[in-house]
Amino acid sequence: MAKLFERRLTPADSPLAIISRTTAAFLAAMLVAAFLFVSYGAHPLQAYFALFHEPFATLRGFGYTLARASPLALIGLGTIVTWRAGFSYLGFEGCFVLGSTSTAWLALSTASGGRIGHVPFFLFLSIAILFGFVSGGAWAGLVAVMRARFGGNEVLISLMSNYVAIFILQYTVSGPLRAPGSLPETRLLPRTTWLPFILPGTRAHAGILIALAAAGLVWTLLQKMPLGYELIVTGLNPLAARYAGIDVSRRFVLAAFLGGGLGALAGMVEVLGAQHRLMDGISGGMGFVGIIVALLARLNPLAVIPTALLYGGMSVGADAMQRRANIPSSITFILESLLVLLVLASDVLRYYEINASSLWCRSPQTVDGQASE
Amino acid sequence: MKHTLEMRNIVKRFPGVLASNRVNLTLRAGEIHALLGENGAGKTTLMQILYGFHSMDSGEILIDGERVHLKSPKDAISLGIGMVHQEFMLLQPFSVAENTILGLREGHGPLLDLQGASEKLKELSNRHGLALEPAAKVSSLSVGEQQRVEIVKLLYRDARLLILDEPTAVLTPQEKDRLFVVLRRLRENGRSAVIVTHKLKEVVELADRVTVMRDGQAVATRTIQETSQRELTQLMFGREVSFLADKAQQQPGAPVLEINELRVEDETGRESICGVSLQVHAGEILGIAGIEGNGQSELAAAIVHLQGMKSGRIILNGTDVTNLNVARRRALGISYVPADRRRMGSVVEMSVADNAILGLQRKYTRGLFRSIDDARELARALIARFAIRASSIDAPAGKLSGGNLQKLILGREITRGSGVLIVEQPTRGLDVAAVESVWGELLRARQEGKAILLISAELEELLNLSDRIAVIFEGRIMGIVDPAAASIEQIGRMMAGISAGTTSPTPSAVTEAQHGQIV
Repeated sequence: MAKLFERRLTPADSPLAIISRTTAAFLAAMLVAAFLFVSYGAHPLQAYFALFHEPFATLRGFGYTLARASPLALIGLGTIVTWRAGFSYLGFEGCFVLGSTSTAWLALSTASGGRIGHVPFFLFLSIAILFGFVSGGAWAGLVAVMRARFGGNEVLISLMSNYVAIFILQYTVSGPLRAPGSLPETRLLPRTTWLPFILPGTRAHAGILIALAAAGLVWTLLQKMPLGYELIVTGLNPLAARYAGIDVSRRFVLAAFLGGGLGALAGMVEVLGAQHRLMDGISGGMGFVGIIVALLARLNPLAVIPTALLYGGMSVGADAMQRRANIPSSITFILESLLVLLVLASDVLRYYEINASSLWCRSPQTVDGQASE
Repeated sequence: MKHTLEMRNIVKRFPGVLASNRVNLTLRAGEIHALLGENGAGKTTLMQILYGFHSMDSGEILIDGERVHLKSPKDAISLGIGMVHQEFMLLQPFSVAENTILGLREGHGPLLDLQGASEKLKELSNRHGLALEPAAKVSSLSVGEQQRVEIVKLLYRDARLLILDEPTAVLTPQEKDRLFVVLRRLRENGRSAVIVTHKLKEVVELADRVTVMRDGQAVATRTIQETSQRELTQLMFGREVSFLADKAQQQPGAPVLEINELRVEDETGRESICGVSLQVHAGEILGIAGIEGNGQSELAAAIVHLQGMKSGRIILNGTDVTNLNVARRRALGISYVPADRRRMGSVVEMSVADNAILGLQRKYTRGLFRSIDDARELARALIARFAIRASSIDAPAGKLSGGNLQKLILGREITRGSGVLIVEQPTRGLDVAAVESVWGELLRARQEGKAILLISAELEELLNLSDRIAVIFEGRIMGIVDPAAASIEQIGRMMAGISAGTTSPTPSAVTEAQHGQIV
């Protein structure tokens, strides 16, 4: 009798196969999480309704979803650029923090009586993007230089550099830029520097447009430009890259610069679009969630937008769920982690095909048992 | 007659491929049996079934007339079946004895009886003519000796049936002869061996019987006396294949690539190239013969600049390129076909079309963007001109067979219009049909006037293709010989560093008059 799962020699990579196994992974993750909801005495369907209704089916909630998704998408894009070049950078938390710090400093300098004085918004935004990008890019580029020059381990160095960046932020908000008051935070940024809100009556801001534009640019770079080709070759096979005349060290540094810059733009978007001031703990782990967003998108720059919306939405929905179904919002973290784990694990399924015919010969219980796997 | 091993009607199906189609194989005690076939004919699958790596879909395996079930290599070993893989599985810092007993429990209780093991090893080594010193560190052994360690590991476990997968691929002619002596000795002592190979000469030289496989089927089994190389070729391919490359007479042109007093140091400060000077002329193939690890790879890497050099100069078409990087040298006309086609010559995860422009990515552009259409067109042109079998130009290059991937890389490097072609081990692991076409392409490039530096471990290849052969030993050129005049034994001695040949500084200097001078 034929086995239900037959091993294949070549992986199935058709769009249908990708969609179906990703869907299966999502359903499996939600099924597992449903048991957690039950353990809190909640009905899983009601909990899921609470989790997804507000962020995706109400205008106000969707505005929040867009606002949360923008920095996540930018960090995800930064992850894609660095990781596809084979540079395992984990310092996006630091880039985010530096991007928000430099932007806040710049914005406060344009306030009346500031160092620079008032400038038109678009000029300000262009300078802020450039300034933020270079600050994060240089920060990450430094790690790449250390690896290229001295063979340092970029995973360790970049993780540690996060703490340094956070200390810089803490110094800034409790020292030079501290607003009068008890909290370590700056004054509210001048309204003229805020990113415009794009949906009337919501908190959705123009950051999502920046993220969309960045996704388009990253996609163009990687898919359409010779430089992107060189980055991908470097990531897949550094030896072949050197053989092909590609300067591997320089490509590492460049990829780190671009990725760090995108991570810093996430910080800029957050501070100009959502918080409107700089405070300690502004990143809240976003630098790591953004990496997960990129992994869930399988390092595809266009797929980052929907996955960022999903994760942004879930963080909005988690609060609603806590209010309505009385389930701790931290359960969403478990669901988010399950999603990534199972979607990545579903790669194994590429190597199997299902023999539908073998189903008829089995008892119904076995069939159910197998199907829920 | 009772057989040591009998494989009956073995069927193994991978989805989409029938890797083994009702194959029968018998093996007698004290027999060397060759399993001959092209790459992909199903030889390795069959042997992996016998070694317990793969399960079979149907069929049966009998050992000494008893039906056995092999679920893992452990079962195979306990039944006296052992396998020497192409890549040796030895721990370099350990001694021969330590490697031999690895995985066994020798001695009593917690104490290791290395002494006893060494004695047993010594005895085995003497009986079978292996000449191994139990206390020697594996890292100090030559490739041929390491292979004999693999064999003694099997004998130590009392294997009666040895499977050797392409055993001569990494050996020098002398080491190959040594291996054959060992195998013949094992045969005299009543052990059996299966040699998986695609080299006809070895089959005829060594085996008692041969089973030829093609497309997953065993097409014939012959005793060596009743067959010929010619018949075996026909069985392998279903057609006749010529073995001699047709090399047109032609006068080489001006020197294109000049290497002067090249010295290369590795990280530990050891000199891997010690003052090599060579000239490669337009329209000639300069062969580099040598046992692997004598500086051939370092020579190629230094010419392309994958590796820095300590001193010396490299001159390309009169331009000193010594201080230029890889990209600049490639742009000035150095092409390179590396030995490791999957790890260096291609990016296996990327498509055939993307691999066709590897190294040319800055050329195939329109404005700021890559011209993907042009890349695809190039890939199609290469596939057509070099008869590459690929399911699609969008398929990952890693899915191509070794021969087809090699033709893709070779085609890319030949057609990019550079004057110098460095080719390293171009036919390693390829079947005869692929070898034939790679040789043809190299000769075509020679006729087009390219200066070709051919680094190969296959003497036959060098003798067939080269206009001159430089023999390298421990980073030094022992001499340059004329392939028409030199014998394999002479070159072999130079490869082993025993004698130097006559150095002929220019190709035209190799004339009839000098033929006798090579000692």
